[in-house]
Amino acid sequence: MTDLAHIRNFSIIAHIDHGKSTLADRILEITGTIDPRDMKEQILDKMDLERERGITIKAQAVRIAYTARDGQQYQLNLIDTPGHVDFTYEVSRSLAACESAVLVVDAAQGVEAQTVANAFLAIDNDLEIIPVLNKIDLPAVNVPEAELEVHELTGATPEEILRISAKTGEGVVDVLEAIVQRTPAPAGDPEGAPRALIFDSVYDQYRGVIAYVRVVDGAFNVREQVDMLGTGQTAEIEELGHFGPEMVADKRLAIGEVGYIITGVKDVAQVRVGDTIVTHKRRAAERLPGYRVVQPMVFCGLFPTEGDKYDELRDALEKLALNDASLAYEPESSRALGFGFRCGFLGLLHMDIIRERLEREYDLELLATTPNVEYHAIVTSGEAVIVRNPAEMPDEGVIDHVEEPYVRASVLVPTEFVGTIMELCQGRRADFVDMQYLSPERVQMHYQLPLSEIVLDFFDQLKSRTKGYASLDYELSGYRQSDLVKLEILLAGEAVDALSLIVPRGAAHARGKALVQKLRQKIPRQLFEVAVQAAIGSRVVARETVKAKRKDVLAKCYGGDITRKRKLLEKQKEGKKRMKQVGVVEVPQEAFLAVLEIDSSGKTR
Amino acid sequence: MSGPAVRHLYVHVPFCRAKCDYCDFYSLPVGDDGSARRRMAEYIEALHAEWAATAARYDVQHLHTLYLGGGSPSLLGPELLDRLLAPFAPLLSARSEVTVETNPEDVDDAFALWAAPGIAVGAAADSRCPVRVSLGVQSFISSLRAALGRAAAADPEAAFTRLRMTGCENVSIDLIYGIPGQTLADIARELIKVAFLAPDHVSWYELDLDHATPLAWRLDSGDRIDDDDDEERAAMYVRIVHGLEDFGFRWYEVSNFAQPGKRARHNIAYWRGRPYLGLGPAAVSTVGATRWRNRPDAAGYAAALDEGPEPERDYERLSVADRARERLFLAARMGAPVSLTLIAPALDEAAVEPLAQAGLVSLRGGTLTVTRKGRYVANAVCVRLFRDSCI
Repeated sequence: MTDLAHIRNFSIIAHIDHGKSTLADRILEITGTIDPRDMKEQILDKMDLERERGITIKAQAVRIAYTARDGQQYQLNLIDTPGHVDFTYEVSRSLAACESAVLVVDAAQGVEAQTVANAFLAIDNDLEIIPVLNKIDLPAVNVPEAELEVHELTGATPEEILRISAKTGEGVVDVLEAIVQRTPAPAGDPEGAPRALIFDSVYDQYRGVIAYVRVVDGAFNVREQVDMLGTGQTAEIEELGHFGPEMVADKRLAIGEVGYIITGVKDVAQVRVGDTIVTHKRRAAERLPGYRVVQPMVFCGLFPTEGDKYDELRDALEKLALNDASLAYEPESSRALGFGFRCGFLGLLHMDIIRERLEREYDLELLATTPNVEYHAIVTSGEAVIVRNPAEMPDEGVIDHVEEPYVRASVLVPTEFVGTIMELCQGRRADFVDMQYLSPERVQMHYQLPLSEIVLDFFDQLKSRTKGYASLDYELSGYRQSDLVKLEILLAGEAVDALSLIVPRGAAHARGKALVQKLRQKIPRQLFEVAVQAAIGSRVVARETVKAKRKDVLAKCYGGDITRKRKLLEKQKEGKKRMKQVGVVEVPQEAFLAVLEIDSSGKTR
Repeated sequence: MSGPAVRHLYVHVPFCRAKCDYCDFYSLPVGDDGSARRRMAEYIEALHAEWAATAARYDVQHLHTLYLGGGSPSLLGPELLDRLLAPFAPLLSARSEVTVETNPEDVDDAFALWAAPGIAVGAAADSRCPVRVSLGVQSFISSLRAALGRAAAADPEAAFTRLRMTGCENVSIDLIYGIPGQTLADIARELIKVAFLAPDHVSWYELDLDHATPLAWRLDSGDRIDDDDDEERAAMYVRIVHGLEDFGFRWYEVSNFAQPGKRARHNIAYWRGRPYLGLGPAAVSTVGATRWRNRPDAAGYAAALDEGPEPERDYERLSVADRARERLFLAARMGAPVSLTLIAPALDEAAVEPLAQAGLVSLRGGTLTVTRKGRYVANAVCVRLFRDSCI
């Protein structure tokens, strides 16, 4: 056991691609934590998806033994956090397990939206910030400019800002020294009733849930009875230990240390991020601050493209949910798409990741409906109806008003794009809050805007209109009343539930028109003429027609051709399986994605 | 003679002057050297051997139709044609239908004079069966024939006239639409020629680029034909149907039109699911639930029959559902009523009602008929009618 004075718990935070994982790799290498033969890029990111996308999805921890220039040996615990806005809560808990954060800023890019968001999260958690300018080996860097921005953000003096190249290793030892010198040793009561903070949890099919913990008070021992204060779960510690970076079993995990606890609990929802573990024997009464159950913000329907894969999809979702307490799903049946699930996600990235994992790891082909947020429809009786699927929106006649979630968005851009951003935000129902200059060249703008606009295309538009220079971060700020309507799509007179949308009343006409035009292009000619209509309630706002086929015959058919012709027709029949039958209309699966190709002003993207 | 009765015989003659770019039938170009006649003689000998073995297994006492396809059977010339037909002639009668395919470049005086009086058939010495000539015109417009990669420059109109002048009373022509570069005006020009020449029967096919022909490769048929192109072809098709009907032709199958009494009985036998035998390399036979195809290899064919009774064959077993689907789609192409009981194993009953509502099929007395309106989209109608689970 290391005495408290020689423990340093830190994390590394950064905007995407600023070099967080590279710095972590170098630190592990230099300190000999990883054998050079086992070294590979992004060593802490274990999932293929993380490596491919260059992102961190799950938090990781690793214990590092480091002999500092003062000749003393320290136990450094590095907690690697996800960086994306979808996982803000997870990041905040990981940070809560640390005393300092190394803030990595790409010297060429400067401070970006996630740099700011993560820095504020760290400051909120009372962490010591160790600012680092990375990539100084690159020719295009503007160190003074970046220093100024970091100073504005953190108050750090130029002397306190380290200049490194994580790629070449230059300055990395100075980072380690700064961690030792500037990170406060863990506080807490070594003799107090034991408490540990869960900052992540993963499911292992053989061992059950593995809780990643930071011991805040006292110590935990194998075979002790423990309780989770938030969920009320009781269990016995089967194994505990630290990460090296693989799991290494110990007998005891003491104050200030970071490690893992396995209890045999099988459900991640019972071992939640942010919860407090206490012992049965000396039961601490007070929960560590900051525990909450995160709620999904974005919803979409997931349907197997082949109807008979429903059970496989359910099994796959069950398995993913074992490892991801924030993934919500419930059965949904669509007249058009058959049986599937309405799934809830923390955000768009989370949704993307889950979908991709379902397709890759479980070999499922999925059709996802347009993502939407959770609306609250207040009906005339005063009751609030939760609407996570546009098809569930009550009739206009019984609705008093509808509320939708708003976010407080922070946009960081070079000053030349301020006009562009204002223009974009105007078209997105965004209310301007304020604007701050981070440096003469960069400005931070705050807006209140509907989350649904972000879900629709705000981020894509932001990126494309600013040539990629803008960055975005946001947090939920609450529900607000909005003038929204349900836009329904009818094929041959029948409403198609999976194509329903909730849109601002003012945009309904343009969106409806664009959507039916798109659908007309995506639906092949049928044996019958098909009317494609967009309607609000019983009022049709746009109409297109898919004309009937005029000719569909095979050429000559002689004795020798009969088998070939029959097989051709059979193949076409087989191909129809990929079509969804909506009443008498056969709709190709791509048509259900047409909604995604229309932007909020009704233009095709 | 025993076994099931078969009344329809197809003979594949795998020789042609030169291979055309759109052709997917099995044939070998013959050169002008002396080897051609020797190979033809060998082929006829092998064909007779195959016939002897086949005829022993079926009741083939009478043949209602005999079809010589190719290739270009007329290339054999009168002497070899007579030799080839010798074993079949006694089984034919004056009321049988004997069709010989030919191409404009192969219609010389000798062939026309051979075909015109018909062939001697049956036991009685003076009984003759007329020869129906099927002439592969493809297009009356020379630039379009060139676009198809037709190797020969012969004038189809002259060939047709030669047949008529020598006295051939039953002549069918083959035409193609949807040739790259072909316009609606071109279709009108072809129709005017048809009206002027007045053949007894017209087969007018859409150019099929679905498989491995040089033309398909050249046009890179991997790309889906776009919607505009489809529209253009639909307009051509409608024009052809209406145009030929105005001249008294009956539209009795998707691609086939006949003057009264001149429908192709051999093809109708295929389309009604009658048993048929096919001889020669690449020929297909279907009897009951068995379909087999001789390997498309002329040398291998001759060699195999030199040694044993059968050439190499690929067999296919037709399931009840396969046969039901075939009955359905072949009947659909003819607009012929088909018994619901017969097609039940292939039918999605739920699909019938909406199609009937739309006037694409009609139901009467336990039969289903694809209507005239439905025949234009017979493919899609059949695909819709097919049941899912039986595939």
